[in-house]
Amino acid sequence: METYVDAIGVDTEATTTTETTAKQNKKKLKVMVAMDESKNSFYALEWAVEHLRDVISAEPETDQAGGLLTLVHVHPTYLQYIYPSGGTASAMYAIDSVPESMKKAREESTTKLFTRSLEICRGKLVKTETMILEGDPKEMICQAVEQTHVDLLVVGSRGLGMIKRAFLGSVSDYCAQHAKCPILIVRPPRETSTSSSTKEHKSK
Amino acid sequence: MATGEEKPVMVVGVDESEQSTYALEWTLDRFFAPYAPNFPFKLIIVHAKPNAVSAVGLAGPGTAEVVPYVDADLKHTAVKVIEKAKALCLSKSVHGAMIEVFEGDARNILCEVVDKHHASLLVVGSHGYGAIKRAVLGSVSDYCAHHAHCSVMIVKKPKIKV
Repeated sequence: METYVDAIGVDTEATTTTETTAKQNKKKLKVMVAMDESKNSFYALEWAVEHLRDVISAEPETDQAGGLLTLVHVHPTYLQYIYPSGGTASAMYAIDSVPESMKKAREESTTKLFTRSLEICRGKLVKTETMILEGDPKEMICQAVEQTHVDLLVVGSRGLGMIKRAFLGSVSDYCAQHAKCPILIVRPPRETSTSSSTKEHKSK
Repeated sequence: MATGEEKPVMVVGVDESEQSTYALEWTLDRFFAPYAPNFPFKLIIVHAKPNAVSAVGLAGPGTAEVVPYVDADLKHTAVKVIEKAKALCLSKSVHGAMIEVFEGDARNILCEVVDKHHASLLVVGSHGYGAIKRAVLGSVSDYCAHHAHCSVMIVKKPKIKV
């Protein structure tokens, strides 16, 4: 704890230009974490909170305000793709009644998801907020990054192989190429990644 | 999980591009400079010097004479990159960073260094290639994001929209 006080002392001794940039950069980071129900995104959140603790948590001893941690969850809306293949009147009716029960189920799962996430963030001295969006996950996440001007985007990675990634699409891939801010891709721990690679060998 | 006093290791890959310098500077600014002298990570900077023979591989006849010149040029570039990295670290008062140079393909070298030091985080810049350039030239940041055994942070230099 004393080391943080020493750091302030070092900053004031520096020259004026480095002092102003140091003061600017001492501001804690605004980090956005993309969540879905998968195990990997919870692991990504845990990893981010653990390793980025130093750069986002507030330091009460030095009155250093903490950064901001935004948890964003995107509801994928795949329902719209059903229309072109349907085409008959009966198909359209079926779709109208489905969304209500689906909406309830989605709300429940989202609440569960955020409750679990906020548990992970508890006690870490960082302002946490949650955001729910609807649409294509990849595009919505990149849009959210642009709108909120975060410093860093954190995503999990399903550890898909090249072939699966080409067919299923990868949110982390798309975000790495299109997000306007630096992106941190958290790999799942060794044990799960080796098990997924052996599965792929079997399928090949 | 950190074992007692050990700090997690952060590996930063650099090459001679501007994006790479920007990535290193951003990382130093956000993760190291404000916390002097007690940095939250142990920093290792890695430069992969391309192999001269692989660099001229597609040149065709007469490559044998060209190779020594290419090699000298690559060595010269590598030295410049290292000097720039050292200067950046000094300007941000970041001491104790380890700087390593290896020869070969950047993708493999970065992944190997991560394994060797059991790094928890790999930081790379991104040239911001479009889909076609990416398919032809390949992307080191893409490769590392999928194959490194640790989390990967890709730092892009923001493009100014005209």
